[in-house]
Amino acid sequence: MRRFFARFTSLLRGENAERELSREIDSHLALLQENFERRGLSPAEAQLEARRSYGGVEQAKELHREARSFLWIEHLAKDLRYGWRVLLRTPGFTIVAVTALALGIGANTAIFSVVNAVLLQPLAYRDSDRLVTVLHNGTGPVSTANYIDWRDQSHSFEAMGAADYWSANLASTDPSDSNPAEHLLGLKVTQNMLPLLGIEPLLGRLFIPGEDKLGSEHEVILSYRLWQRRFDRDPNVLGRPITLNGEGYIIVGVMPPAFRFAPFWAIHAELWVPNAFGNTIHDRGGNHLRVFARLKPGVTFKQAQADMATVTGRLEKQFPATNRAVVVKPLKENVVGKIETPLLMLLGAVGFVLLIACANVAHMLLARTSDRQREIAVRTALGAGRSRVVSQFLTESLLLALVGAAMGLLLALWGTKALVALSPDYIPRIETVGMDGRVVLFLLVVTVVTAVLFGLAPAMHATSGNLSGALKEGGRGDSDGIHRNRLRSFLVASEFALAFILLIGAGLMIRSFIALQSIDPGFNPHNVLSMVVSVAGAKEEAPGRRVIFYRELLQQVRAIPGVKSAGAINHLPLAGDMWDRSFIIEGRPQTQPGAGPDAVYRIVMPGYFEAMRLPVRRGRTITETDDARSQNVVILNERAARSYWRGENPVGKRIAIDPGKSGPPVWMTVIGIVADARQEDWSAEPVPEMYLAALQNHDFLGESVGGIGSHMTYITLVVRADGNPADLASAIKNTVWSLNRNLPISDVATMDRVVADATAQPRFEMLLLGLFAAVALTLAAVGIYGVMSYSVSRRTREIGIRISLGAGPAEVLRMVMRQGMVQALAGAAAGIVIALLLSQLMAKMLYGVRPSDPITFGGVAIILGLAALLATCVPARKATRIEPMLALRNE
Amino acid sequence: MSSEDVGRLVVLQGTLDLIVLRTLDTMGPQHAYAIATRLEQLSDNSLHLNQGTLYPALVRLEQQGRIKGSWAKTDSNREAKFYAITKAGQKALTQEMQRWRRMSGLVEKLLTEGA
Repeated sequence: MRRFFARFTSLLRGENAERELSREIDSHLALLQENFERRGLSPAEAQLEARRSYGGVEQAKELHREARSFLWIEHLAKDLRYGWRVLLRTPGFTIVAVTALALGIGANTAIFSVVNAVLLQPLAYRDSDRLVTVLHNGTGPVSTANYIDWRDQSHSFEAMGAADYWSANLASTDPSDSNPAEHLLGLKVTQNMLPLLGIEPLLGRLFIPGEDKLGSEHEVILSYRLWQRRFDRDPNVLGRPITLNGEGYIIVGVMPPAFRFAPFWAIHAELWVPNAFGNTIHDRGGNHLRVFARLKPGVTFKQAQADMATVTGRLEKQFPATNRAVVVKPLKENVVGKIETPLLMLLGAVGFVLLIACANVAHMLLARTSDRQREIAVRTALGAGRSRVVSQFLTESLLLALVGAAMGLLLALWGTKALVALSPDYIPRIETVGMDGRVVLFLLVVTVVTAVLFGLAPAMHATSGNLSGALKEGGRGDSDGIHRNRLRSFLVASEFALAFILLIGAGLMIRSFIALQSIDPGFNPHNVLSMVVSVAGAKEEAPGRRVIFYRELLQQVRAIPGVKSAGAINHLPLAGDMWDRSFIIEGRPQTQPGAGPDAVYRIVMPGYFEAMRLPVRRGRTITETDDARSQNVVILNERAARSYWRGENPVGKRIAIDPGKSGPPVWMTVIGIVADARQEDWSAEPVPEMYLAALQNHDFLGESVGGIGSHMTYITLVVRADGNPADLASAIKNTVWSLNRNLPISDVATMDRVVADATAQPRFEMLLLGLFAAVALTLAAVGIYGVMSYSVSRRTREIGIRISLGAGPAEVLRMVMRQGMVQALAGAAAGIVIALLLSQLMAKMLYGVRPSDPITFGGVAIILGLAALLATCVPARKATRIEPMLALRNE
Repeated sequence: MSSEDVGRLVVLQGTLDLIVLRTLDTMGPQHAYAIATRLEQLSDNSLHLNQGTLYPALVRLEQQGRIKGSWAKTDSNREAKFYAITKAGQKALTQEMQRWRRMSGLVEKLLTEGA
């Protein structure tokens, strides 16, 4: 260690040591001279003699220097300078190599920075690995009564909280306010919900016990963004009253900028208010709460799961058909679970792209080292050890990789921005993507590994050759060493194997996407515009006036020129929420409360089915006459009819929402069956569904569970246009505002856009994978083209001789092309085997196509074959045009 | 090394450090020239020390902390760098000498007994 420092300081004090050395040698020479003088020589003679007997002064200095310094650093500096010159001498090679590497390294860094932010970083809550979500029915929300029982009867959790989706109309704070009324997304949370996340508010406080009791639940906590947008980051905002849905709330806190809750579902919530359950505390049928909990210290997920199984098992006995399949899931797993496989697959894909780029650069280097045989031979002859030459070559590779990495970093910075901008909304935490220490470390490791990957084999090969042979041949042989040929073939074959795998991945995604695109949504989304109109807090909200207002609004909208038909619904399919209720069927034996059949329920205004063109299979649709004065009606989807009336015709039968213990059932007559419309998840098969008439009285749905009493405070207008529906947007908005200037309008979107958004994630994955596969294909084709061109140019003389001996163009063509195609096909064959294994991992991401889809495999084989054919064809044709005499003379 | 050294012994790799330490231990602080002269005298001129060999050895030993160099005047009032053995150097010398004796004894034994 001491020696290390001595050397190191001597490296730094280079000049100092050099002076010391000269001084010592001078003194040595003086002493020698003195000795010779004593023996009787003249001073001049003695000086000469001293010099002679001392030997080479410079040589001695050099040896001295070697002993004193880090030789390798000097070597490295020398190698770097030399390598830099070599790279500048062949700009064409350098540009191609650096571009390939920049693409590979840049893409890897960009994808890794997304993986890092989305998958690797812990959630932004305190000890977030102790947080869980408790899911009902495997994935779904929970009813209030069940939540309360879980909370009170389980023993594994420090705290268990719940959140409910909520939207609020924020009224203008005063008439002169430039901010119009706004429809905001928020959450109603139990008092313990925010504290259990362990994040302190930026200003003010979280909710305190008692604030979630009915009547005292009028406090609100703002998100940083809302505070910034609507309150100009006013630090005195605490204690200020605001009006939400017409009710007064007091601002008690502001959360920090990075705070997001909930992390999945309702990710755009901008404010939080206490949830006073009211009379839903006895409700087991309406599942709408999301439950979050923090594990007690020392309790494992497994133990918590077992604990919950005991609790829910007991509850299920009491209330059959509820508390089914209750899962305790780590919160992070639920947040990133859906995106994990696609992201890792993309990371793997860019890894392959980088490998292909490495293989490409490697055989370019190989070709170049063949041309540099003579330089290597000379250097070896002059005493450079093999390790010295290898390290020179590796330095050049490292230099290439570093330049590539620098360009790649720029590419990654730009690419990450593009990724974030393009990515579908629901990649969780995508907004936190950026460069951090881990990404930089990743970049460095990838760069060095890359340099070794593409540099080592050429370097080893360059130095393994026969020294005297290379010198004698003058650096040009008739053909390459068999070793180098084998390595080159291996590189080409592996490029094709990797390209094959990537193309399979992309091909499967494309096939799956086509299958997704051809899904019939059940309705006709073209030429339809939707928008959310909210009356919460306005005078139109009064239960008696609400539907009257909606009816009037729809009549006026229908009168707008260009409107074909118009209707409205509480929750728009694909874009809106999905609530379900259990129901009972008249004449069938009564089951336990909450144990009957269930269905998603939606509430519609007349005209909805016509505007959506949702076909009526049987019976009729809901009309203006199905109002509070007529008998209650309901429409079912085909799935509900098939599931609960096997072989029977349900039209004319009566059903009722399961009233539980709260009273006698309110019967509704089934008046029609409509086609199955896609619901929340585009690729999921629709489940049973029922449509209720908004004009009728639905108080039996229960307060705040969807009863008309507290719900339908906003509706989604659905308008079918003659032409482009987007053109109608401003006319419809003006119609709304002509009725009441203060009603907020939000989520204006064509149904085509809603459908596109529903398939945004597979489209995103397909686009990226397709892009990477295209890059891979190009690189592989360039690779085989380069190798074949090089091989033809090396074999010019051989081919010239063949032609002069009578080989026709066809024969030459066949010979050259066979060489290329054999390599490509060998690679593709290996690719098929690996792709068959790897594509199984994609199974979950695919829709309507098997991982081993023969059409994809066949198609990819054809595409790759054509690319290989094209890439070998050009050099092969060049070979046929070789002039034998010229070729021979050139040597 | 090459044929010019026929008749003269070349210092065995690794033993030079030992010899230099021993010289400094017995003779006290010396400059490089004196060390070289002394070694040639002791070996009856059969050991030729290239200056190029001696200097790196001195640098190495100094870096290892086994000797310490300082500038001083010679008897003839000339400036020279005098090297002196340090405590660590003496310790190393004892160890290295033991090792060398074992080693050379072993080689000798192998050579005479024909292994």
